[in-house]
Amino acid sequence: MELQLTAAQNEWREELRDFLDTELPPQWERSTEWCEDEDFWAFAIAFTRKVSAKGWIGLTWPEEYGGLARQPIDQLIFSEEFTYRDAPVVNTIGWGLAAGALLAGGTEAQKQKFLPPIQRTDVLWAEGYTEPEAGSDLASLTTSAVRDGDEWVITGQKTFTTWGSHADMLYCAARTDPDAPRHRGITIFGVPIDQPGVSFGPLFNIGGGRQNHTFLEGARVPHENMIGTEGRAWDLIMGGFYGGNIGASYMDAQQKLDKIVAWCKTARRNGKLLIEDAVVRDQLAEMDLLVQAERLLTYESLSNIQSRRPPAFAGAIGAVVGKEAMARFAELTNLVVGRVGQLAVGSRWAPIDVASGGPEAWFRTSIRNHAGGTPQVKRMVLATRGLGLPR
Amino acid sequence: MDIDLEQHQVDLADTARRFFEARSTISAVRDWEASEAGYSPEVYQEMASLGWLQLGHPESAGGAGGGVLELSVIYQAMGRTLAPVPHLESAVIGAGVLAAAGTPAARALLEPVLAGTSVITPALAEDDTGFGPESIALPGALESGGALRLEGSKILVGYANSASHLIVAARTAPPSDAASGITLALVEAAAPGVELTRLPNLAGYPLYATTFDSVRVGPEAILGRAHAGWELLAPVLDRAAVLRAAQIQGAADRLLELSVGYAEHRSQFGQVIGRYQAVQYLCSDIAINSHLTSLMVRYAAGLLDAGLPVGKAVSEAKAQASLTARLAPERAHAVHAGIAFILDFDVQLFTRRCRHWELDLGDERYHRERITDALAA
Repeated sequence: MELQLTAAQNEWREELRDFLDTELPPQWERSTEWCEDEDFWAFAIAFTRKVSAKGWIGLTWPEEYGGLARQPIDQLIFSEEFTYRDAPVVNTIGWGLAAGALLAGGTEAQKQKFLPPIQRTDVLWAEGYTEPEAGSDLASLTTSAVRDGDEWVITGQKTFTTWGSHADMLYCAARTDPDAPRHRGITIFGVPIDQPGVSFGPLFNIGGGRQNHTFLEGARVPHENMIGTEGRAWDLIMGGFYGGNIGASYMDAQQKLDKIVAWCKTARRNGKLLIEDAVVRDQLAEMDLLVQAERLLTYESLSNIQSRRPPAFAGAIGAVVGKEAMARFAELTNLVVGRVGQLAVGSRWAPIDVASGGPEAWFRTSIRNHAGGTPQVKRMVLATRGLGLPR
Repeated sequence: MDIDLEQHQVDLADTARRFFEARSTISAVRDWEASEAGYSPEVYQEMASLGWLQLGHPESAGGAGGGVLELSVIYQAMGRTLAPVPHLESAVIGAGVLAAAGTPAARALLEPVLAGTSVITPALAEDDTGFGPESIALPGALESGGALRLEGSKILVGYANSASHLIVAARTAPPSDAASGITLALVEAAAPGVELTRLPNLAGYPLYATTFDSVRVGPEAILGRAHAGWELLAPVLDRAAVLRAAQIQGAADRLLELSVGYAEHRSQFGQVIGRYQAVQYLCSDIAINSHLTSLMVRYAAGLLDAGLPVGKAVSEAKAQASLTARLAPERAHAVHAGIAFILDFDVQLFTRRCRHWELDLGDERYHRERITDALAA
């Protein structure tokens, strides 16, 4: 048990804050997930490259692949500060998902080839897991990969591909052995996007951003872009959802709660300060409890990583709580902020400090609800693998 | 940063679990509930000989060192087995107040309390039913020589029938910015004018009303400064709230085992009910809330032991625990359905104890209010 940060860790936090103060415009409240604005995208790429130049993309990676070999706690502090400020770090599929899988299961040659460009934010990755008929039941995916000499030929359709049209490489799960048991015939490829066999169809989301249908029609991939072992991608998929990174999504809720509490001290409803309203006070406390639950689950994950121990309950409690708490948090935000909470960011009449509270919180909830698996699926994992109930 | 328990704490948890599983079997728990004392003085004495009454008190006060973390793993084991002992009332709150007061009378009583040969208990609650200094109205008249005369009633006093002394919180002045206006007094339970009335209750807990009919104690019986008793009591109650939360977590953990075990073996509609997702959801609700309670307990206890600013952590732990104390039994009853309603079946023992623990040492509402106080500060 050690609940205090070291002096060096506190200095690291200050260094990150200084960087964010310098590099982000004041009143920064935008997320790349809701915006297809080209100027914004250009800013996010430029910002992320500055983070790369600092060495902070790949912070914990071994030095031979461009990393700084820092400790997991340093990664968590980074995530806390960047999340609290909503810093627009893009290529999360690259440095999170792909790099995590490469570090866990990639060959030496693959690590040398793929990791440094991800570190530099030179090659942007998009995720190619979900298919129109393979959502929660990912192992039913049907996109096929057929060997053709030194290449593989990929055919099928992926969907909900965030940033697909901006990416250079698709982190693509495809079936390489149709006769194997369904969890045993899947392989991951880094599919170059700039080729005739890859195209996109837009899916505009309720938050104003864009996902994509991704059409793979005889797309060709060099064999050296196969990641991990042929037919054994399932282990990478299950272990690798953003493996190697410790996120701090509670800091997103924390910054919203901080703003809402500050606003409640000055805003009135029916002539009464909100902070003096007993119902609002109770709702604020519940929001704090949601934030704190996620914070402590994250601290627990950090301790698990530090002591190389598998998480309790098959790791499903964190996933369930994170997803369900976020929905409740957004609901409480709306209840506290009230009818102006429906106004979009930028509206003159929206309470400026909490403008992102209503629509933003709900958009994010909606994304988080399904990204990486629905809470219902995670509840099934918790009950069966975590508690041992029969399937 | 590391939220793991230390190895010696893991070992202590294991020792405590084996101790209470052997010494506080469910049939013994049923017998103790029906007994006059409401607990087993033998088990309490064994806890004393293991050093578990001295735990959490500094060696300078006759304690054994250690902190809330060590105690919390013992309380989890007590919660799992529903072991009824006056540990929280006497060895944590009572001894904590005595040690903090440090007067000769307090120090003299501390030794038998930590040895388990005396039991003392706090008498705080009144018909205001709140928790916190504002709820204390029992009038105490301070005489010029420092003696205190008490008039009125306290309720929900645990183990009063086994107690040699009560720690009574009396209203001696209106609250001010400088002090709570509350004075703490050590009152002999057998003193003239003190009357105990057993309060039958859902939890089967030995709860009493204590009535003070012009009870006078001398200045040596005052604990802490006059009118500033709550200031002395508050940090002790924080520790106790975290331990009550740990006890709830232990009970929820056991309810999870009972529920999963039942769902794995009970068949309806041709298959075990644990296959139904509706039942799986009920079980996972218990697991989630139990786990969150354990994390919040560990965090609050760790901050208390390290002497770091505790902020909202104590109230987060007890608010979550009070929620768990409602939710875990409710879900367990839903899994078990009719059989959970039957006295022969064990689930109801946990449900009834949780009704007391949920509301003890500040209910969810009280602690949520404290959280918002901290947020808005």
